[in-house]
Amino acid sequence: MEEAKVGVFLSNCGKQLSEILDFKALTEHVKKVSGVALVVQGNEFWRGEGLKTIVDAIKSKKINRLVVAETLPKLSEIAIVKAAEEAGLNPYLVEVIDLKDHCAWPHRDTPSEATEKAKAMLSAAIERAKLLEPLEKLEFPAVKSVLVIGGGIAGMQAAEDLADLGFEVHLIEKAPFLGGLAARAGRFFPTDDCAICIQSPASDVKAITHTSRKCVYRSGFSEIPNLNILTNSKVVKVEGVPGNYKVTIEKKPRYVDESKCVRCDLCTTVCPVEVPDEYNAKLKTRKAIYINTPPVHPPVYVIDESACKFQECAKCVEICPTKAVKLNQKTEKLTLNVGGIIVATGFKEYDPSVIKEYHYGEYPNVITNLELARMIDGFGPTNGAIIKPSDRKPAKRIVFIQCVGSRDRRWNPWCSSICCMISLKNAMLIKSAYPDTDITICYIDIRTTGREHEYYYEKAREMGIKFVKGRPTEISHDPDGNILIVDVEDAILRRFFELEADLVVLATAMVPSEDTKELAEMLGIELDQDGFFKEYNAKLRPTETKIRGVYLCGGATFPKDAPTSSLHAHSAAVKAAKFLSTGKIIKDQRTAFVNEEYCGDCEFCPVICPFNAITLVPKGEDHFVAQVSDLKCEGCGICVGTCPVNAIELRHSRPKQMEAQMNALLSVNGTSKPLILAITCSECGHTAVDSSGMAMMQYPANVRVMKVPCTGILQVHQFLQAFKAGAQGVMVVGCKTDGCHYEVGSQKAQKKVDLAKVLLKEYGIEPERLEMLHMVFIEGDKFAEAAQMMTERIEKLGPLQLM
Amino acid sequence: MEHKKEQKTSATSFSDEIRSQLGGETITLCYQCGTCASSCPVAKTTERYNPRDIIRLSLLGEKQEVLSGGAIWLCSSCYNCQERCPQKVEIADVIYALRNIAIKEGHIPNIYSEFATGLMNEGRIVPTSKFVEKKRPEYGLPPLRPAGLDAMKKILAATGFDKIQWKKEGTP
Ligand code: SF4
Ligand code: SF4
Ligand code: SF4
Ligand code: SF4
Repeated sequence: MEEAKVGVFLSNCGKQLSEILDFKALTEHVKKVSGVALVVQGNEFWRGEGLKTIVDAIKSKKINRLVVAETLPKLSEIAIVKAAEEAGLNPYLVEVIDLKDHCAWPHRDTPSEATEKAKAMLSAAIERAKLLEPLEKLEFPAVKSVLVIGGGIAGMQAAEDLADLGFEVHLIEKAPFLGGLAARAGRFFPTDDCAICIQSPASDVKAITHTSRKCVYRSGFSEIPNLNILTNSKVVKVEGVPGNYKVTIEKKPRYVDESKCVRCDLCTTVCPVEVPDEYNAKLKTRKAIYINTPPVHPPVYVIDESACKFQECAKCVEICPTKAVKLNQKTEKLTLNVGGIIVATGFKEYDPSVIKEYHYGEYPNVITNLELARMIDGFGPTNGAIIKPSDRKPAKRIVFIQCVGSRDRRWNPWCSSICCMISLKNAMLIKSAYPDTDITICYIDIRTTGREHEYYYEKAREMGIKFVKGRPTEISHDPDGNILIVDVEDAILRRFFELEADLVVLATAMVPSEDTKELAEMLGIELDQDGFFKEYNAKLRPTETKIRGVYLCGGATFPKDAPTSSLHAHSAAVKAAKFLSTGKIIKDQRTAFVNEEYCGDCEFCPVICPFNAITLVPKGEDHFVAQVSDLKCEGCGICVGTCPVNAIELRHSRPKQMEAQMNALLSVNGTSKPLILAITCSECGHTAVDSSGMAMMQYPANVRVMKVPCTGILQVHQFLQAFKAGAQGVMVVGCKTDGCHYEVGSQKAQKKVDLAKVLLKEYGIEPERLEMLHMVFIEGDKFAEAAQMMTERIEKLGPLQLM
Repeated sequence: MEHKKEQKTSATSFSDEIRSQLGGETITLCYQCGTCASSCPVAKTTERYNPRDIIRLSLLGEKQEVLSGGAIWLCSSCYNCQERCPQKVEIADVIYALRNIAIKEGHIPNIYSEFATGLMNEGRIVPTSKFVEKKRPEYGLPPLRPAGLDAMKKILAATGFDKIQWKKEGTP
């Protein structure tokens, strides 16, 4: 490698800094550091003339390494690195530090101490810069094709967007028909328009130009070019990397040729098998060969293989005029090559039969909201009549119970968020169709937080629906078993009621769909504490997962109403499109690499890597070594912190770079206080230091800050190294344990600090000299306090005695 | 108009006090759904007792009303409420915690101080009578054995039971 010629650019931030720091002394100091080829002072270096000075120095080959002391480093760094790259310098040979927020401002009352600290900071940046190595930008192919898992409202919306944007889209649905849970809901709140519109095909409209913007029924969904809809299908295997996945799909046989069935319905007239219709809440039966009504996608029949007698019968084969029935169809396996995956698997209704006191599943007239929705649906099993399932007579008195299995720490602690609106909707639909129905809703809290939702609640009261503030303890029935009795306290009146009802409707919790866990494992993404898919960041990245290229939308992350699911789906589609639009993924090489000489036959790093970037590959007989995917690696270094034989390193944070930086930071003290090294992660930890400076909080200048990618990179011996290099105390500052940008980094660091404390004791070093802290950006005050506290603590302990 | 502010225990300090008692830990989870009340056989028979009310009053810091009101002594410890509370508030245990605090503060219904006195003096909660002793042989029962008063006293001393000021108060 060419000899390092470091250019150091010292920004005075418009003369603010020279009022505190002795710039002359800093310049003199920097000049004396070996390898420094140029020192320039100026007012600012991240734009205008200042930036031009840097560009010129690079172009004239005076320097081949760059250190810039500039304020607002997160912002200015981007401009500086970009300009340096354009001028011909490898962008990974640049080091930007902040002398204002990390030194001058927090130490403004002790200017000479601040100057000494600034010297140490500059030396550290220079030493690190000298050891930096040029890194490549890597390019990976991205297939412009997306797999959308789940054909409910969210999946359909995302699929439509992406197909319209020109991507090849595969939409797969586990059930034989599209529509998901939403399609069974009959109508949607708060507009009361039809839910069915989301599940139907183009009908007879082939020309996309004549479709509707408001109604999916007329949207021509299934006719959208580039959209491949696979029903009766599920994902069984996912291999590959973002941009290039190989997904194995298992497509169950439909036993009816989709291209031939003309929906004449002759088959159902001959089919001898009759089974309860699950889709319709078992309120009617259907044949073994059936179709969901009204017309759905695909608009063809399907055979229920658990009911059909197959060759023993085969009556439908005989009668079918187009020879569409194919009883010998087999399960097919197909492989799709896609660049991105959108998970839209939704949620399901909780089975409330575990709540014994409500006797669901035991008393036929205790039903769920979704079952009620099937009754309300004019196309449904009762043609819109509200009946008692026990004798099919009209239900005239209906009691709804809210929060069944929801907000219940015995079953599901969360509020499912949509059930209040669902009950209001169902109650009002019944009340408008059958005004003499007596309806009571027993609630704990009515939650109507969405747009126009409160009007809904208002209207329900206006219509004469009654509300009782109380959660019933039990449902029982009269001696004849005809009338249900709901035992409830109205907390407002402080009075007990035994509400008589023909029908009790349970507003049950909404829980994660089946197979959620398996799918998460296949995709390498996380679930939250409630078992729903977890976003990478709920507020800023609500459709992304930690794996780039895998997105989430709709009820898969939490129960949602239709408008929110749609929004979420459009957002996921945009994210996937953005990721794949150029057909390639540009990724830098700030990644981990393995020294195969030392690595072997252990599984520590593949297991620990939060991004599944490490695999074991065979090397010779019975010998395996780790291999890092440059594409998947996010450069956190948690693997480095875990490897027992130091066989894995980060290209941009190599041990020798860290060591040189640490030594330089601790080389000069210049204060009367003991030196303390604060090792921060580059995310929340480092920005907390920034914010303490910005807010002009004071802490003593003996505290030196060293940034690492993630505190998860740290190894126990590095704490000892710091003590040896002159630190009297060490603080490790990382993200909150549940908010680590690399998921587990700060937890791992905490564990290492705890372990190191035990070891330090063995070495005769007071464990209190080492501390781990967790904070976020805005907790600058917390950092300043901790720095002060550590200083006082170490002063009390006295000088460190190293054996 | 002048508002006279009553000097009252703050809500936080009373609920903290309950929470620090064995059995009282879960009280603050209550969201007033009323399941306990509609589960409670006692609440159904008398207006003087409602477990939801007691929890509410306690959380709002109405310490005097809760401790001296007498209601807390009406719970029959059937644990129906506790089985069904969706927030896993250990209601019956909370009531025990409240009773313990009440006793410590001297709010003891007559009947309980009588039980306690009987136990300490005679080793029995229910005093024996000549009538009972005469009746026993008629039913083929052996004569009552004397209570092991010495052993009882040792136990009561070891548990601190004898230190409690068993003052008399009204009957609930
Ligand atoms: S073969 Fe199966 S679906 Fe066809 S008619 Fe017979 S039982 Fe029904
Ligand atoms: S640096 Fe982080 S993301 Fe990369 S391989 Fe190591 S643990 Fe995985
Ligand atoms: S059942 Fe539980 S949550 Fe509901 S009012 Fe009673 S104590 Fe509170
Ligand atoms: S334990 Fe007490 S409060 Fe609870 S239901 Fe039984 S009597 Fe009522």
